[in-house]
Amino acid sequence: MSEFLKTVFGKFELRVRKGYHYVEDGFWASVEDDKVRVGITDYFQRTLGDAAFVGFEKKGSTVKKGGEIGTLETAKAAVSVISPVSGVIEEVNGKLDERPELVNQDPYGEGWFAILKPSNIETDLKTLMSADDYFKLMLKKLETEHIAPGV
Amino acid sequence: MKAPQPRKVIVIPCSGIGKPLGSVSREAVLELVENTRKGVTETICLALLVSGDEEALQLVRSNRCIAVDGCPMQCAEKNLKQAGGNLVASFKAVDALKRNRKLKPKSVTFLDRDGLELATTLADEVAHKVDEILKK
Amino acid sequence: MVTLPGRKVGVVSCSGEGCIEGTVSRIATRLVLEKLRPEDTVTICLPLFLAGGKEERAFAKEYPTITVDGCDKLCAKIGTERHSGKIASSIVITDLTDSGKCVQSKSKRKLDKEDLALAERVAEKIAQEVDKALNRGDR
Repeated sequence: MSEFLKTVFGKFELRVRKGYHYVEDGFWASVEDDKVRVGITDYFQRTLGDAAFVGFEKKGSTVKKGGEIGTLETAKAAVSVISPVSGVIEEVNGKLDERPELVNQDPYGEGWFAILKPSNIETDLKTLMSADDYFKLMLKKLETEHIAPGV
Repeated sequence: MKAPQPRKVIVIPCSGIGKPLGSVSREAVLELVENTRKGVTETICLALLVSGDEEALQLVRSNRCIAVDGCPMQCAEKNLKQAGGNLVASFKAVDALKRNRKLKPKSVTFLDRDGLELATTLADEVAHKVDEILKK
Repeated sequence: MVTLPGRKVGVVSCSGEGCIEGTVSRIATRLVLEKLRPEDTVTICLPLFLAGGKEERAFAKEYPTITVDGCDKLCAKIGTERHSGKIASSIVITDLTDSGKCVQSKSKRKLDKEDLALAERVAEKIAQEVDKALNRGDR
């Protein structure tokens, strides 16, 4: 059985990783023992285009849920990367400095942004969407928004 | 005695049609071959290499080549290598974008101002490499 | 495995550095994508397709494709047929021009009014082929 929920838009397959937790704006959180790994969704990376430059908040920084843990610049836009949970940044994905395209190529895997030590995990998780709910939201967005016409 | 043929560098864009950076790569190369390094550079259609066009294959195997790709998929570099081309340098429009963060090319069909500016910048970078290659 | 969409048509343009007609091919394809048939078409990026792009090849295998070539070297047609089988139709720009061949003297990127008009005519022709591929009557 696939670890992803999938749909197709144009010729692109859009995926939502099962078992992760989601924010409507396009960020995910994955609980790994006592840590949380965060990144951006496949749908969000597809709307943003090719990643060109990634910036990070410092390791050791305290972040509130909804706070910025980094920035992502693409050919189209510059966006803040938001943490779905509160906590302290323990690690950032240094690979993205040399290879920002990992955000596009493997958004749920090698394209992760940061790992946090969460400070309020149980409460924060209750506010996040499940994979199924984010998938339904994504389908709704595809009906009303265009990633890119016909591409 | 016949005079030696002038040396040329073959510059091949990916010309991806799905993203602005594909159009940027194409525009940069055409700027180079039609304008800034006219006479010492030449381009051909990437697809001719894959379809096995003899003239195209001969051209890339017997001259030094530069691949100019739009994105990290690097289709021009890959296809050129597969065709046995004499690849001496590669460029990616996305890397030029990293060095020019204020530019945000958005359109594909007709490049907007940022796209044209990025293409000019990229063309300049490739031109310097062409000069280096021709000195050797 | 790549999952595929409902009914769409793939339009594959040549990359077009050989002559101005190649640029016309690209622009005509984009016009179809952006204006004439945005809901019905996707573009197959030819260099990515030739380099082994999963999504491009999967799409072209399962769905009707229309190739648009600037000249009689037929890069888009040959490449698509080689990797994904039969195509729905092929359009060759030089077949639609008075000269019937590539105009080498012109810049390959600076389109004049005539070239733009040609691009629009070609776009209409592609759109008609899209409708045929989708079994639609006159639109």
